[in-house]
Amino acid sequence: MTHSLHRSGDIESQKHDFVWFMYQTKGVNDVGIKPKALEFIAAAEAVGSENWGDVKTGPVTRFTSQEIKDKLSDKSRLRGVFTRTEQMVEFLRRIKGKDTGMSVVITGILDEVLPACKEAGVTPHSINYSLGVWGRKDKLPDDTTLSITTMCGHHMIPPKFVSHIMRQVETGKMTPEQGALRLSDFCYCGIFNHVRCADIIRTQVEMKRE
Amino acid sequence: MARINPEKCVGCKICMTYCTVDAIHAGDDKKCFIDQDECVECYVCLRQKVCPQGAIEISPLDNFYKEFKHMMSDPVENHPVTGVTGRGTEEVKTNDVTGRVKRGMVGFSVDMGRPGLGVYLRDAEKVAMAMCQAGFIIAPSEQSPLSGLMPDRSTGKLQAECLDYHLLSVIIEGHCPESNLQNVLAALQKVEKEIDTVFSLGLILRVDETGHNDILQCLDNLNIPQPHRGKVNVGLGRPLAVD
Repeated sequence: MTHSLHRSGDIESQKHDFVWFMYQTKGVNDVGIKPKALEFIAAAEAVGSENWGDVKTGPVTRFTSQEIKDKLSDKSRLRGVFTRTEQMVEFLRRIKGKDTGMSVVITGILDEVLPACKEAGVTPHSINYSLGVWGRKDKLPDDTTLSITTMCGHHMIPPKFVSHIMRQVETGKMTPEQGALRLSDFCYCGIFNHVRCADIIRTQVEMKRE
Repeated sequence: MARINPEKCVGCKICMTYCTVDAIHAGDDKKCFIDQDECVECYVCLRQKVCPQGAIEISPLDNFYKEFKHMMSDPVENHPVTGVTGRGTEEVKTNDVTGRVKRGMVGFSVDMGRPGLGVYLRDAEKVAMAMCQAGFIIAPSEQSPLSGLMPDRSTGKLQAECLDYHLLSVIIEGHCPESNLQNVLAALQKVEKEIDTVFSLGLILRVDETGHNDILQCLDNLNIPQPHRGKVNVGLGRPLAVD
């Protein structure tokens, strides 16, 4: 499930897009995880993770923090996003200090993530490197649409719905922020970066107007 | 199985905007229908409650392969064998605890159908077989759901009955020794021209304490750009696996 790895779009834009994960390992540390999960949520909230959630319940853009906490179970999968490296560093520091024993993964531009690991005092163990898209790339949607749809790596965001939202913003029926939040509804995991998405929509709409 | 009840559909076409793989079409009678071959059973149209008439209905999936495609296409589902949501794979997520990818090995996650096009299993088979012929070792079915459809995973060949099923995505997962990385990548460069979809490729490596592994230099020999994105396991899982 490499659903955060292959995000696309402008590199500068990706520098404001980091995904964090907490993982339990089946048969090793996957029983009674709720207290540990709550530590992750506390750290995420303390550093202002812009979106986060549990794939079993949904993201905070749709449910309250308390609803997600109440429904935590051993099947939960917690994850979220940051827009700034400072958040990532502080989050890692806090989680390291709690010593929960859960696996922690950060996805993003390596030139940003690796220095952040060093600053936080954690040591990279293994990396899944993105070698990009292969095959019939001619069948893909345009780059702007992909930069939005790939923020839900399970591809729950239909490209036609992105076009629909773009039209809504172009015609003044929605703000870029409202459009981004509507798109985030499709991502159950909580790793959709609606802040970055609003910036992409705004830039695209302004380019069309010029 | 998702379908549109023609008695309820009024032909507004709103649902067509909500299909992840463009499988909803309008017929000559202006009413919408779901192409069951194209539909990946992701259930986005159901969960988003898009139809004002409530015409999108669900009926039981009537065979194993339809259940499999729903499981691979809907991230809310847990895979019954791996116990993991989404496509049910672990790749780098818990490698600090499982030690599945060790030093000297390269793990692969070939995300067939991503981003967003979907994949017929016949294309997944082509890629898996090409990789196996180049010395790739496919992960066992308890680690990777697709392997469960392979009678003999040393070949990458899938059960013939499943080849025409369309999934939102599925991962070919496994490994090879670092010494064979270039051969497997060359096989992927060849087979990418023989499929009718896309795949997103991830390479899983153990790294040094600065987050590097020199084996990636071999990408230059194949004119493959060096990666700028990565999913970094920061080594906080316990008990820590020993290489």
